[in-house]
Amino acid sequence: MREFAFFVGVILPPITLVVFIGGLLYRLYLWWKLPSPITTLYPAPGPGVATFFSVLKATFFFPSLLKTDRPFWVFSWIFHATLALILIGHIRVGTDFPALWKALGINADTMSTVIGTTAGIIILLAAIFLIIRRLMIPRVREVTKAGDYLALSLLLAIIVTGDAMRVLGHFDLELTREYFAGLVGLRAPLPPLKGWFLVHFLLGQMLLFYLPFSKLLHFGGIFFTQTALQRR
Amino acid sequence: MEKERELVVNEVMGLKNGPVLLRMPMEICARCGTCAQVCPVYNGKTDFRYNPTLRTDRLRSLYKRYATISGKLFGGWVGGREYQCGEIQEWVDPFYECTGCRRCAVFCPMGIDHSVVTRKARSIIHKFGLTPQRLLKVTEISLRTGNTDGASPEALLDAIQFLEREMKEETNLDIPIPTDKVGAEVFLVPPSGDVLVNPDAIMGIAKIFYILGINWTMSSRMFDGANYGFFIGDDTAMKAQNLNYINEAKRLQCKVLMVGECGHAHRVMKFIMEKQNWWGKLPFQVESAIQFTASLIRQGKIKLDPSQNPQPVTYHDPCNFARSCGIIEEPRIILKAACQDFREMTPRGAENWCCGGGGGLSAMDTIQEFRMTVSGKKKLEQIRATGAKYVAAACSNCKRQLTQLMEYHKEDVVIGGLHDLVSRAIVLPGFAARQPAQA
Repeated sequence: MREFAFFVGVILPPITLVVFIGGLLYRLYLWWKLPSPITTLYPAPGPGVATFFSVLKATFFFPSLLKTDRPFWVFSWIFHATLALILIGHIRVGTDFPALWKALGINADTMSTVIGTTAGIIILLAAIFLIIRRLMIPRVREVTKAGDYLALSLLLAIIVTGDAMRVLGHFDLELTREYFAGLVGLRAPLPPLKGWFLVHFLLGQMLLFYLPFSKLLHFGGIFFTQTALQRR
Repeated sequence: MEKERELVVNEVMGLKNGPVLLRMPMEICARCGTCAQVCPVYNGKTDFRYNPTLRTDRLRSLYKRYATISGKLFGGWVGGREYQCGEIQEWVDPFYECTGCRRCAVFCPMGIDHSVVTRKARSIIHKFGLTPQRLLKVTEISLRTGNTDGASPEALLDAIQFLEREMKEETNLDIPIPTDKVGAEVFLVPPSGDVLVNPDAIMGIAKIFYILGINWTMSSRMFDGANYGFFIGDDTAMKAQNLNYINEAKRLQCKVLMVGECGHAHRVMKFIMEKQNWWGKLPFQVESAIQFTASLIRQGKIKLDPSQNPQPVTYHDPCNFARSCGIIEEPRIILKAACQDFREMTPRGAENWCCGGGGGLSAMDTIQEFRMTVSGKKKLEQIRATGAKYVAAACSNCKRQLTQLMEYHKEDVVIGGLHDLVSRAIVLPGFAARQPAQA
């Protein structure tokens, strides 16, 4: 068990980081280099900066989906927005900004507990809805393959273990901060990882390995496709 | 078999080089099912065969297996699949069941445009000599004779003379349709259907030029803007067809090449040839007859009498005009001025449904049943819902498809163009006001 925890907690993270950041940059670079003749899809906004804002809008709000399938848009947007919020919140797992919280007069731990737990539950519900939708609607079910179910299982497991840490186990924030500080500063020995955190951390790293080479990079690709469609 | 696999695999690996709209669908489809929800074909018949992204999977799965590392390593687990012997034959029907209407692209949150994949797949099919016979023939005839009907210049001149006589009878005026006039300012390029089958549009345009005293001409050899190389994914044929018209425009020394009511003709000329700068700087501008007429109406330079078109009229947005050229409001300007009872379909504009005959499909008699009962189904519903008796469709292929659709489903609805209605409503100088038309 200790060896496993050592592998997941000490050996794997730097590899994960290199693969994730490197993979991401590599893929985005390849896509950025692709030629793109004008293939405007009208109505497109005027040339120049209007295109850029239209692409941003498409990336963050995907309004075309709002037009065609409102319920789907609602759950999809909630899922993605909550995910973004949770990812930003994860910064506090590694480090903290006591000066900022003091200046704002916020008790950061209470904020994290309330917002974090709520977000964890909302994202779980949204994910379950989306999975049920995928299984129930024929035109969605028929396009779902083995790899898609695998990716979904991974995401669901990450959400569930994350929620479990919050709701079931006792979670020591100080310990994780100490751990990450040690990892970054290459200080040994590192506190041993265990329980839900170990599983969650392993699954999270597996996701980071998978992400740059999969359809999950759609959030990066949209920028290129929507620009291609909206450029005049 | 080896050669077959090699050719396909090479094509598939070439997708890595893009362009953006060809490579990205291979990589970022999130499998959300939206494209199927908005596809006219899938809405015509709910069958996984017509699911756009499953059709694209035929290429995508090969792309994953042969062009990506994860595909080579993990095969089916990441959606990769090996090419099967003889598979290319199975591609022909499915990729000629997509109308290339780009409706998927309008709604896909990822910005995936299956029409680009369809054209690429068709180009591979073409390399194997498997393009449907009819479309091959039309492409070849076009290149050889200058038009998709294979009509000779004599036949065109005959048709023109007939139309001039018609207009004389109708208006008692000598309204010309000039041909082969070197030095004319405007060179009109309609679809051949608008001369040989539904010529009211040409008469409408001729009347407009007459009123304004514009020095214009057609070409007895080059009178068809259609470009079937575009539909079948044959870039060489597409460019060769286009070049013939560019050269004719240069020969005629025109200032304006005006494309008539043909969506893909205008798209190829203005939004592909011009934007991609195929032939360098040209001595003429490319314009659209629709935009031209709409601006004349806006400026009050022509007068229309809507009582000449009393029947309820609706407008079908040809996919290429609306989604690929952005010509959406101008047809409505024309129709509101020319008709007493113009009504919109729902949805309209860039979200309008495809007629069901896009992408060259309307020329294929072998799939008539499919076009009448599957790809044209949503359009039929839309037309019925408007209660219109005349559907204005500014595209020859749409007209063919819709005319067949109305006949097949026994609907008493006339299909015609925009300038047809202009021809009836336009107020000509020195010509006594016409009686309001009988409904």
